[in-house]
Amino acid sequence: MSIDTTFRSAGSYRAPYLLENSDAAILRFPFPFPEDTYMYSMNIEPHVKAGEVDSLRRTFDVDEHYVVECQEKARILSEDPKRCIVLPHMQKAEWDFIELAMNSLSEDYPDLFHLSRDGMRWHWINRPLNIDQHFVFGDAGTLPYAPFEFMARQMQGDFTLQDQRDNDLWMDGGMVTSQADWSLKFDLGMSFKQWHAPVPKAGEMGIFDRGLRFLLMLQHGMPVRRLNWTMTINPRLDTSPENFTIWGRDRTVVTDDNAKDLVHLRVELQTLFRLPRSNAILFAVRCYLLPLRDIALVHKWRIRLHRVLRDLDPALSAYKGLDLYRAHAVHYLSQFDNNELTSKGISPDQDIIVHM
Amino acid sequence: MNPVTGYAATISSVDMVAPALRRFVLSCTKGTFPAISPGSHGIFAFGNEHRIWKNAYSIVNRSEDGKTLEIIVRRAEPSRGGSDFLYRHGKPGLNVSVISISNLFPIFRTGRRHLMISAGIGITPFLSYMTEMQKSGMDYALHHYTRPEETSAFKAILSPYDQSRIRVNEGRQNAVSSLSMLLEREPITSHLYVCGPDSFMEWVRQTAAEAGYVTAKVHSERFVSPAGGRVFEVRLARSGKTITVGTDETLLEALENAGIAAPCLCRGGACGMCRVAVIDGRPDHRDHVLTADERDGGNVILTCVSRSLSPTLTLDL
Ligand code: FES
Repeated sequence: MSIDTTFRSAGSYRAPYLLENSDAAILRFPFPFPEDTYMYSMNIEPHVKAGEVDSLRRTFDVDEHYVVECQEKARILSEDPKRCIVLPHMQKAEWDFIELAMNSLSEDYPDLFHLSRDGMRWHWINRPLNIDQHFVFGDAGTLPYAPFEFMARQMQGDFTLQDQRDNDLWMDGGMVTSQADWSLKFDLGMSFKQWHAPVPKAGEMGIFDRGLRFLLMLQHGMPVRRLNWTMTINPRLDTSPENFTIWGRDRTVVTDDNAKDLVHLRVELQTLFRLPRSNAILFAVRCYLLPLRDIALVHKWRIRLHRVLRDLDPALSAYKGLDLYRAHAVHYLSQFDNNELTSKGISPDQDIIVHM
Repeated sequence: MNPVTGYAATISSVDMVAPALRRFVLSCTKGTFPAISPGSHGIFAFGNEHRIWKNAYSIVNRSEDGKTLEIIVRRAEPSRGGSDFLYRHGKPGLNVSVISISNLFPIFRTGRRHLMISAGIGITPFLSYMTEMQKSGMDYALHHYTRPEETSAFKAILSPYDQSRIRVNEGRQNAVSSLSMLLEREPITSHLYVCGPDSFMEWVRQTAAEAGYVTAKVHSERFVSPAGGRVFEVRLARSGKTITVGTDETLLEALENAGIAAPCLCRGGACGMCRVAVIDGRPDHRDHVLTADERDGGNVILTCVSRSLSPTLTLDL
């Protein structure tokens, strides 16, 4: 993105919903299925500045929804300030986060963000959000918010900070406003195993033991990423348990006819970074929403999504909360599946979108 | 930073702390070293035209501007190689790259009070601890044990720190009773950190257990050496090559040195990415990934940590 690219100024992640994706945004969507079937796996790879789709190629991805998403985040925080909590022993990690975010954003998007450093005196400019801030690195009093909150408000997605103690990781801070049905208030202070307890099958497959051991050894400068997915009715970022009464019933109104507009594939680009001063781990979850009607514009993806959803393990379908409407989504997508072979990998295999 | 070779650096100064101890300051050749959390160690690579060593040392300090790191090295048995080489040949100008930095001995930040107990060169992680604890106003104390002939050297090393929190004990004569008394006097909320020779750490752990410490509050540092074991040969079925894996290089490193593109990610036996099929020979599994069945089957190996029980291993590479 450069300053010439226009950020969308309109959009609504709550009723009345409005989320439009440009062709470019559709083609850079991190489609999560490299194959026609899906089973839970660790699927971790190095988070390098390369990848089959453009959204994977920057340390922190910024797209056309940046401004509207940051506004939505600010609104959620003003309604419920407890969406951002950092325990006092995580102060070093807050500054680690500032350094990582400012360095990489200004490097990846020199037109949008600018950082200059003179020893501990830093100057940060965020052009899309009109922020121009001088501050002293390490001195929280020189920022309008606590360091972690200051930065996380200027980024799309959710962030949590994990402290490493006793060969485990403890979620001791975060800002969570676009989560898929989990809650920071509930998970704060939990260990890695405790917060993964609800995932079916993965535990018995030993995936979390391996995952934890792997993360304990995660090194600074060598971040990793994985894609996770679920589905959401309407383009709603904040599907938190606290708001279940608002979004829960949406799932009952899906039909064969409206599935293409209501059902969204929700993909989380999860990245993990070792933070050098604090030895904490930053877990970043960037959420992308694409309605079935937009997925249907990509030949390979619409066929693959049909197969994945049709053959999904019932336990996973139940865990992800898809049971009420999965059949309608499969029905809509089935018209595109002519049994042809699809290529491996997540690339859309097309450069332009033909609108019919 | 290059993910395989790490940060290039050279020795910029050497300081004789005691007859057997050297303090090295390493300067980053390009840019700066990353910020470092107390208790971190680096894997340092150095050597001459005949031989490259990769040794783990605690990082004692990183300068404010990030341009230098400090380590303290004790001369070890010449047979152990690396430390002896550094001790003798570690002069200003010698190239030493910092391959990786990690922290397996972090400060328990939620602790109310921190009691550190070290012997000899085991002091090194606590030097970085104390810098941080002092800065952030944590409650701590250090009890250091040393041979009498090195007392003054360690006192000199410790002189920049808050003397009211430090005690240096000579020898182990009175140590036994003093340690139990000390531990009994500590508040129940204290965290205990131990670093030193294996036998010393064992002794402290035992004394702590007798004084009623729960194991969760006792932390000790053990370096996971990235290498080690008997020499073995590897035959590569597809390319027809044969390579030798030396005592202190890993199978993965030997493959890389031979120019073979071997997969890997964590380099520590934790992710499973470096899995390769074994066609012949008996692997010596040292990873945390393979299932019991896979181990017994002997048909796969994780090259980053595992070695061979048989003199030769044939791999599907
Ligand atoms: S590289 Fe991760 S297990 Fe070998």
